[in-house]
Amino acid sequence: MEPKIVCRNISKVFIQKGTQRVHVLEDISVDVKQNEFVVILGPGQSGKSTLLRIIAGLETPTTGSVSLDGKEVAGPGADRGLVFQSYMLFPWKTVLGNVELGPKLRNVAKKERREVAAHYINLVGLKGFEKHYPHQLSGGMKQRVGIARAYANNPEVMLLDEPFGQLDAQTRYFMEKEIARIWETERRTVLFVTNNIEEAIYLGDRIISLKGKLPGRMHELYEVQLPRPRDNTDMKFLLLRQQISDASELVL
Amino acid sequence: MAEKVEAIQGLKSQDRSIADEVQQAVREKKPLTIRRIITNEYFLNIVSMIAFLLVWHYAAASGAFSGALCTPWQVVEQFRNLMTDTLAGLTIWGHIWASTQRIFIGFVLASLVAIPLGLFMALNPYVDAIVKPVFDIFKPMPPIAWISIAILWFGIGEPSKIFIIVIGTFVPCLLNAYNGIRLIDPEMYDVIKVLGGRRRNEIIQVSFPASFPAIFAGLQISLSSAWTCVLAAELVASRSGLGFIIVQGMKISDTSMVIGGMIIIAIVAWLTSLLVMGLEKLLCPWKRGIGDL
Repeated sequence: MEPKIVCRNISKVFIQKGTQRVHVLEDISVDVKQNEFVVILGPGQSGKSTLLRIIAGLETPTTGSVSLDGKEVAGPGADRGLVFQSYMLFPWKTVLGNVELGPKLRNVAKKERREVAAHYINLVGLKGFEKHYPHQLSGGMKQRVGIARAYANNPEVMLLDEPFGQLDAQTRYFMEKEIARIWETERRTVLFVTNNIEEAIYLGDRIISLKGKLPGRMHELYEVQLPRPRDNTDMKFLLLRQQISDASELVL
Repeated sequence: MAEKVEAIQGLKSQDRSIADEVQQAVREKKPLTIRRIITNEYFLNIVSMIAFLLVWHYAAASGAFSGALCTPWQVVEQFRNLMTDTLAGLTIWGHIWASTQRIFIGFVLASLVAIPLGLFMALNPYVDAIVKPVFDIFKPMPPIAWISIAILWFGIGEPSKIFIIVIGTFVPCLLNAYNGIRLIDPEMYDVIKVLGGRRRNEIIQVSFPASFPAIFAGLQISLSSAWTCVLAAELVASRSGLGFIIVQGMKISDTSMVIGGMIIIAIVAWLTSLLVMGLEKLLCPWKRGIGDL
């Protein structure tokens, strides 16, 4: 079967202050199959967020191309949902208002989009918080809203950019379980960016690791063939973690 | 925090929600001691007010200001007189209304033009390039510098006073609307882009609501500027308004009238700023309750 997302030889050079060239990505090629959960693992400053933004269509690659279902990506679109590291909820909208934003922009009738929003608010476990404003929620809850907002637009591909980067360790661990549960309930093709090895093994079908220090390059590929739900004290889990951390410059 | 995580982890089925979790803050009841009364905020506020009035009273009674300072009580007496007697055909209420009316007319006129213009400049680089240089010439001019020209153009009636207020409120209104949009995190627009929205959606869903708090901050600054302007205009030439009361008091060497006028201005200006604050609460419900957290 044709892969869902095909990235071919992507490189990206940013031009700062008119002349300064910042080489962020070099020759990245990634294929993601339908309904596959792929994790892009890399340390800070490895260009992994830029890669995700290129796939989202928010940045254009300097060379190379991204295609979705065989069609080249030319800009952002509703077929790809993005979950932001810094949540990016609209503080002037309630939880419901934030979640129903996607359908609202597509002019879905009010009753229908309320149903869709209610479904996903329920899925992420925020039932009862519909009328709350983002500032009334904790970090984990805010990111639940971010995930629900992306899901409610019914994208074919979910792109998550270090979604739990701002959470404390306990909440983060719990949210990893939640994202696995949500993904198993509503399968999507997922690209998940993280700098956390354990998170990568817990979630990914496949892990693509990037080399640190700009420009980011492909490093290793790992297939994670552990049964779900995964146990992060399992011996195989720990061995894989050891293998990845030995191979990378990442320090846990 | 740990309890919260447990509470969430306890949730297995989708029907249950973490909304069920209720946090209770238990307030300890402390016994009433002298120390607690003395360190009480409100108690200290009252002590400070009384001390201020006492210092004022004794300073006035000692004649240190060569008789040009009245006692607080004399100001109170003056208030009573102004409420019943008329000054240039108006009681104190008439004068308050005269000034307030000027403020509102000028303030509304200026904000109706300045806010849309500021938003437009921030959203469209061409409008910005055309308007900005002219605006930058007028920006640093103190509005009071316009009084003479206003009188030459519009005479000493109402239009010249309203003109001064428009000039004084225009700049902060425009600048805040402009900056309100300029300071929006560009990633906010990415949210709309990724959801499939267009530029029009970005402006309606992000630019406008995100700039609201800054616009209201601008309105507050404008309002205090408007009071400065109306007062200056009334001091120069006027037959009504709170500035007129102050000038009258000066002319007849009645300090209680001058100080009375000043106090009334402070009160009325404070009330109008409460009004703007109320409007902000009404229009920005998401900001409600931030103070309670």
